Amino acid sequence: MPDALILVLVVAASYLAARVAFEWLARRFVIVSGAEYLLLGILLGPQLSGILSRDTVESFAPIATLSLGWIGALIGARLVLPRLVRTPAVLYRVALVESLLTVAFVGALLAAALWLGFEVTRGEAIIAATALGAVAVASATAGVAVVARQLGRRSPVVRQLEVSTAANAVVAVVTSGILLTIVHRPPPMAVRPLTPTEWAVITIAIGVVGGALFHLFLGEEHKVDRLFVSLGGAIILVSGAATYLRLSPLLAAVCFGAVLVNTTRNRAEIVAALERVERPLYFALLVLAGAAWRPSVRDWSLVLLLFLLTRVAAKIGAARLAARWNGMLPTLGSDWGRGLLGQGGLALAVALTYLYQENVPLPNLVFTAAVASVLLTDVMSARLVRSLLHVDFVTPARDAEG
Amino acid sequence: MRRLVVLALLFGAMQLVLPLGAGAHGSQWLLTFGFLILAAYSVGELAVLVRLPKITGYLAAGVLFGPSVFNTVTTDAIGELRPVSSLAIALIAYLAGAELRWNEVRQRGATIAKILTAELTLGFIALSAVLVALGDRLPFLQDTSGASRLAFAVLFGAIAVVHSPAVVMALLSETRAGGPVARTTLGVVLVSDVVVVVLFSTVLAVARAVVPPTGANVAGLSLGVIVWELAGAVLVGALLGAAVAVYLRFVKHELVLFAIVVAFFGMVIAQLAHVETLLALLTAGFVTENVSRHEDGEAIRHAMERSAAPVFVVFFALAGAEMGLAQVAAVWPFLVPIILVRTGALWMGTRVGVRWAGAPRDTRRVWMGLVPQAGVAIGLAAAISQAYPVRGGQMRTLFLAVVAINQLIGPILFRFALNRSGEIAGGAGEATPVQPRPAIR
Repeated sequence: MPDALILVLVVAASYLAARVAFEWLARRFVIVSGAEYLLLGILLGPQLSGILSRDTVESFAPIATLSLGWIGALIGARLVLPRLVRTPAVLYRVALVESLLTVAFVGALLAAALWLGFEVTRGEAIIAATALGAVAVASATAGVAVVARQLGRRSPVVRQLEVSTAANAVVAVVTSGILLTIVHRPPPMAVRPLTPTEWAVITIAIGVVGGALFHLFLGEEHKVDRLFVSLGGAIILVSGAATYLRLSPLLAAVCFGAVLVNTTRNRAEIVAALERVERPLYFALLVLAGAAWRPSVRDWSLVLLLFLLTRVAAKIGAARLAARWNGMLPTLGSDWGRGLLGQGGLALAVALTYLYQENVPLPNLVFTAAVASVLLTDVMSARLVRSLLHVDFVTPARDAEG
Repeated sequence: MRRLVVLALLFGAMQLVLPLGAGAHGSQWLLTFGFLILAAYSVGELAVLVRLPKITGYLAAGVLFGPSVFNTVTTDAIGELRPVSSLAIALIAYLAGAELRWNEVRQRGATIAKILTAELTLGFIALSAVLVALGDRLPFLQDTSGASRLAFAVLFGAIAVVHSPAVVMALLSETRAGGPVARTTLGVVLVSDVVVVVLFSTVLAVARAVVPPTGANVAGLSLGVIVWELAGAVLVGALLGAAVAVYLRFVKHELVLFAIVVAFFGMVIAQLAHVETLLALLTAGFVTENVSRHEDGEAIRHAMERSAAPVFVVFFALAGAEMGLAQVAAVWPFLVPIILVRTGALWMGTRVGVRWAGAPRDTRRVWMGLVPQAGVAIGLAAAISQAYPVRGGQMRTLFLAVVAINQLIGPILFRFALNRSGEIAGGAGEATPVQPRPAIR
């Protein structure tokens, strides 16, 4: 119990401290808060200080799963069809080409490297590399949001980055979700083993049925408090069901969120209820992810380095190619992919989902890669976006000075 | 109809999912938690349609989906969700304390003390007497005589008088009732928890002297331990409440998260310090409310009510799931006299207390709010079965059956009392306050 107490106190205290400092840091130094929680988790976890034992971290797994579900539901809630159809198609083309190229490039290169250089079977190399590809494609949205807020007006690059980070999120979640259906071990009670397609249908069905059930459950409820209770119950149920079946809670929750916001009249209230606990859960996920980290038994530092370099190359190269193929290079510039280099909670969420599976190859390597990438890029994600725009931001302090 | 469809779909989905999975990484915990929130919430809404309290619906959902009927919520899952119940009790205690203003304690304290004294004394004596009268017919009193029979009967009487602040708080929160019946009932149940803990500890110490336990957990409860449990709880609670007040004064951010942390922190600290959790959190709520500025106290109370909502739903559903219908069926011949005697003692004791205090006539209905039992009662019964594994275990079975019945009829009775007293204006489900809460302070 004292372990749990320490964890709760640390998360709460650091969250509240960050809550106070967050806006100021973002405004004054264009720094996004997040990676420090991950670092905190690693420091407190069994690998370093041991303040949080492995059992304690394990006992908090439901909270991490709930956070995964919540993150997924928020991603899904951004897929509002009327808003999506108003966005020019070229932005989607650029975003999707960039996302798919990144997954393919990182996945292929790391599969080859793992298979040829690290005595891993071909199947294991492909599975682990695909998971790394899914991690690599995810980009932090917080940096783009901070810059967009500071800019106060729409820039084509920022608009593209917003669409691209959303597409990156969907591609990352779908790739990792499908991967889990492929490596799924048949349940002991099943009459016959289910095929990956059937597991994929089940994953999506959990989200869709959850969304439909929620509708039936609430009708046209507008009170945020009641929405919050039932929304919490629905997300817990959806992410719990997916995890219980060893499927991706992220993918199921994305489907849930998408169904929800596209079939309801009280979209604003639902999003408000979702956002109410987004940040505490996000920070809890970061701390728990940090505490769950454990190094591999083998030295994978070369693979990690390769992952980080490949990702940077893939993001910048794929973004440039995608822009060129769609005639957007003059508008976006050749280096607009730099704005997608920052990684945050989603990359960790994808890696954590993989880590929680029992029969997947190299889970610690995939997770360590995500942790390293987030630690290196999250804090700087807003600055990376800003560097693309060549805009001199006026800070409030300078503003006050006139 | 819509609610029934939701329930059928939920139940069907669980039946499909459960055989296909394996509960890794606490996923069954989550699955059950989510299912209980939605299922119990739906049954709660159905209960409102038939003019019953939501809590009764939550409890009924627990019974229906628990091990006794459909077993969707298994015994293992109930065990895994026990921390939710502990958190709920902490939240309830804090909220209850935050409902009390010093002015009100001074104004209503004498009335509460007199009603409590009368109903507890009468209940304790009557329940102990009925146990002695049932004698050999009760499994745990067979082959006992004289002092040992009296000791076990008195032990049962000491736990059977307990009430349920959780049910009272939840119903007041649901109905927004705030008149004399509501406030007096709340005061009585809150103070009674402290008194019953002291009474129980004393009686258990005496029982141990009369019938020494063999081969069981025989750790004694000294006077010093009891004093520390209570005084320490007040001290811990006061410190926590003061810290919360400081936070509200200078930070006042993210109150929903903060509320959960306060309840969790208070609960763990109380356990670490070996003090009475309920009293510690109650004191914390009381200190915060009375030390903070009015708007700060209001803000933290609302935040806690909001964050507590899903926890309460699951808490009561779990309480329902833990009710063993088989146990109730096995001991039903003894239930009728015990429940009748307890209810009669509450009715009579409250009337005597109200007359003694010269309280308004309406407050005679307070007895109906004293019928429900949960939480502390179950904990005390567990303490007896720890001290006397065989007889205590049998006594626990009977007591849990009594609690199950009281838990089901109690909320209905209390809601009836509030309605009859005109403290719920809008009727079932659409209750509006006769007077806003601050007016009672």
